[in-house]
Order: sequence, then C-alpha cells, then structure tokens
Amino acid sequence: MKKYFFIYKSEIMSSMQYIANNLLNFLGYFMHIFIFFNLWDYIYSNPEELINGYSKCQMIWYIVITEVIWVVVGGRKLCRLISDDVKSGNISYNMNKPYSYVGYRLFSHLGEGTIKFFIFIVLGGMVGYLFLGEIPNLNIIQLVIVVISLILAITIQTLCSILIGLLSFIIEDSNPLHWVYGKAVLILGTIFPIEFFPMAVQKIAKLSPIYVVSYGPAKLFVDFEIKTALNILVAQIIYLFIVYKLCMLMYNKGVKKINVNGG
Amino acid sequence: MLMEVKNQIKVMILSFKYAVMREMLNKVTFLSNIIFMILNNSFFIIQWVVLFSLRENVGGYTFNQVLMLWAIASGTFGFAHFFFKKAYSLSDTITNGKLDAYLVQPKNVLISCITSDVSPSALGDLIYGYIVIFLSGITISKFILFTFFIISGGIIMVDIAIILGSLSFYISKSDMIAETGNNFMIYFATYPDGIFKGIVKILLFTIIPIGITTYIPVWVLTKFNLFYLLGVIAFTICVTIFTFIIFYKGLKRYSSSNLMVAKI
Repeated sequence: MKKYFFIYKSEIMSSMQYIANNLLNFLGYFMHIFIFFNLWDYIYSNPEELINGYSKCQMIWYIVITEVIWVVVGGRKLCRLISDDVKSGNISYNMNKPYSYVGYRLFSHLGEGTIKFFIFIVLGGMVGYLFLGEIPNLNIIQLVIVVISLILAITIQTLCSILIGLLSFIIEDSNPLHWVYGKAVLILGTIFPIEFFPMAVQKIAKLSPIYVVSYGPAKLFVDFEIKTALNILVAQIIYLFIVYKLCMLMYNKGVKKINVNGG
Repeated sequence: MLMEVKNQIKVMILSFKYAVMREMLNKVTFLSNIIFMILNNSFFIIQWVVLFSLRENVGGYTFNQVLMLWAIASGTFGFAHFFFKKAYSLSDTITNGKLDAYLVQPKNVLISCITSDVSPSALGDLIYGYIVIFLSGITISKFILFTFFIISGGIIMVDIAIILGSLSFYISKSDMIAETGNNFMIYFATYPDGIFKGIVKILLFTIIPIGITTYIPVWVLTKFNLFYLLGVIAFTICVTIFTFIIFYKGLKRYSSSNLMVAKI
C-alpha cells in the first residue's frame, strides 16, 4: 500500500505545477453550470415550485456536485490512455514492475484529480452560492458523510473507466464503449436526478453504477437523509469491491494474451 | 488564379482520400467509431424528452426545433472535425515545429495542414445530423439548406479553431486557451438561445458565433428568411478571410524547431 501512496503523492506534487491549467478548465465547468442555471431558471416558472420533488435551488446544487465528479474523473481521457497502453504494447513495461497495473493507474489518476477536486469543489461552491444565494443546510457530520460519498464515487468512476479501457484486450478499441457509458451516466444521473425518469428506468438506474458514481453523493448534498446515506454508502462499498475485482480479472486474463513485437 | 484553386482542391481531395484510407486500415475500429458516436449522440434525445415532459416549449423552441438544433450542431461539429481535424491541434503543430512539413510543400500551408487528417468518429456526428434532420421532417429545400448550413457552420467553427490555434505564434502554451475556446463553441450549440438573456445573447452572435452557426440556421429552416441566409454567407466569408490574415501574419513569426519527421 505504501508504494501506491507514493504514486498518489507524486501525482499530487506533479499536478501542483499545473494549477493554472485547472483554473482554465474551471471556465468550462463554469459554463456548464451557467447553461444549466439558465435552463432550470426557464423551466421553473416559480423558484418555490417542486418538480419531481426538487426545487430549483436543489436542481442547480445537484448539478454543481455531479459536474465536479464528472470533471475530476475525466474518464474518457483515462480510458483512452489505458486503451492506448494495451494497443501499443506499452502495458508490457508495467508487467515486470513490483506493483499492479490497475493499482498504479487508479492511484496515479486519483493523485492527478486531488488538486482539481479541491479547486472545483471550492470554486464550484462559490459559483453555486453566487447564482443562488443559498446553500443546502448540512451539519458537519452530514457534510463529512457527503465528502466520503464523493471520494467513493470518484474512486468507483475511475475504476469503471479503467475497466472499460482494459476491454481493449478483447476488442481493439474500447473508447467508443466509454462514450456510451459516459453519456448514460451524464444523462441518467448527472444532468437529472433519477427521479425524473419513469419508474422502470429508476429501478434499473438504482442498480446501475449511476446510483453510486453520480446520483448518490449529489442527492445526499441536496436532500440529506440518514437512511438514504447508509443505502448509498453500502452500495458504494459493494460496487468498489466488485469493479476492482473485475478490473483485476480483466487485467490478469488480458496480459496472458499479450503479444509484443520488437521494442 | 483559377488553375491554382483547382489544383488546391485536387490536393485537398487527395489528402482526404489518403487520410480516410489510413483510418480504414482497421475497418472494424473505423465502423465501430462511427456507430458508437451515433449511439452516443442519441442519448441526448432522452434529455429533451424529459425537459419537454415538464414544459411545452424550452426557450421558445418546440421539440421539432430542438431536433433541428441538434441536427445542425452535430452536423457542423462532424463536418469541421472530420474534414479539418488538424485545425483543432494547430497549437501543438505550431509549438512543436510540426508546421515545417507543410511549409516545404508547393501548396497553401494552412489548407494542407488542416486537411491532413480525419476523425472517423466525427463522421458519426455528421451522419447523426442527417438522421435527426430526417426525423424532424424533411423536404428537398430543407435538405439543401441543411447541407448548406452545416458547411457554413463547419467552416466558421474551423475558422475559430484556427484563430485560437494561431495564438501559439504569439503565446507559448496557448493550447489550453484554444481548447477552452473551442469547447465554448460546443457547450452553447445544443441549447436554445431563448434561455439566455442580455450580454450573453449578444456574445453568442458575435465573439462566440453560435448564433450564426446554429441558431439562425434553425430559424431559417423553420421559416425561410433570405436576409438571414445572406447574413450567414457574408459572416462566413468575412471570418474566413480574417482567419487567413491572422494565420499568415502569425506564420511570419514562426521558427522551426528542427524537428525531423517523415511525412508519408
């Protein structure tokens, strides 16, 4: 575990050099929030109105949180990196190293995202407050639970991207699969809470990764209930275990098939 | 002059042809990129079905108009990224001295550079645009107008990408600025202009010309207006001329990095 912590720390140190890039990236995040603020402002004719149980303020805060997860993970880039490692044979350089490739990619990516996470959560919070003039009423314990849920969501989402990237062992280019997965998470859990969909879709979404990587932490932030919090945290721990095991299985099966020509 | 233009077009077509052939070396990947991009874009229909279940119109747009908006946004994006993919990595080309390879060619440097690669997934965006415009109801005149608007919109998008990329002639590490600017063009393109107010609306018809590439085309497709159509043509020509001026002014400042590459 010590070596992974070292990888994580190295990536944090490295990303400290690119704070200006993160601030520039924040402009894109700000634009998304701005567009959705305008959109929901139009949809909600009265700010006190409830649509599917959400007020306008809750809807905007929901998106502020889900977009932070979306931007911090940046799964598309990670999937492309892993897919390229598999296709180009670069993955073979990691095979003889004293660490697991999955662990290396996970901690390296989390390290890269840590500074981004702090910048986006602080500035995102300020943007949300600037637009709405109020923040959800959470006590310190509830806030800690939301942060834990956010960290778990980012970790699971990172592992999901690694898993899809590793599918390149089976199909040559797994990037298109990530586009579809990413879009499903974006539409069914990031832009809208799952309550906005028909009951049948809600049932499927609650069993899917969408519930733990996007909907869960944002729901807790805008409408905290201890029972929901427990449900979400348990589901996140189960998902974390399953997706990690699937990544290891995929990697171990995949490297047996690897065939590198020359070097 | 005419002969020169004819030759340049011939080279452009050959450049596309070889770029497509290169991508088609792996047919399965090429086709899966296209099919999955169409599927990826289709998810957004769900977003609009949900929004229209809440309100009868969004930003003054009906569901049919949102379909047109998506068709044009996706079509222009596909056109720009499929035929002129390299315009989006112009910063990297300039910063790393990769422009040398195009400078020695006896053809237009800018056009040779931006047409030297294609993006297969962008073909999926282009096809998706046509699928959606058919779903919104099609006539021959609408089809012709739609094709015209994705070409004009695509050219404007490429122009913006070149102008932002040309910043690298003046500022090193300006790739992030270019990427952010190009992303702005995409963010607004799929949302009705009616939800934006005040200064933002003015910006969308000037500095971030989504209004010209996407909103006006939707208005014209809904109700034909010759004045708007001519406005789009005039804007496209002016921005393109301006782009060439900016690029060639910047090119005078370009210095090679002695990068040795084989261009096959």
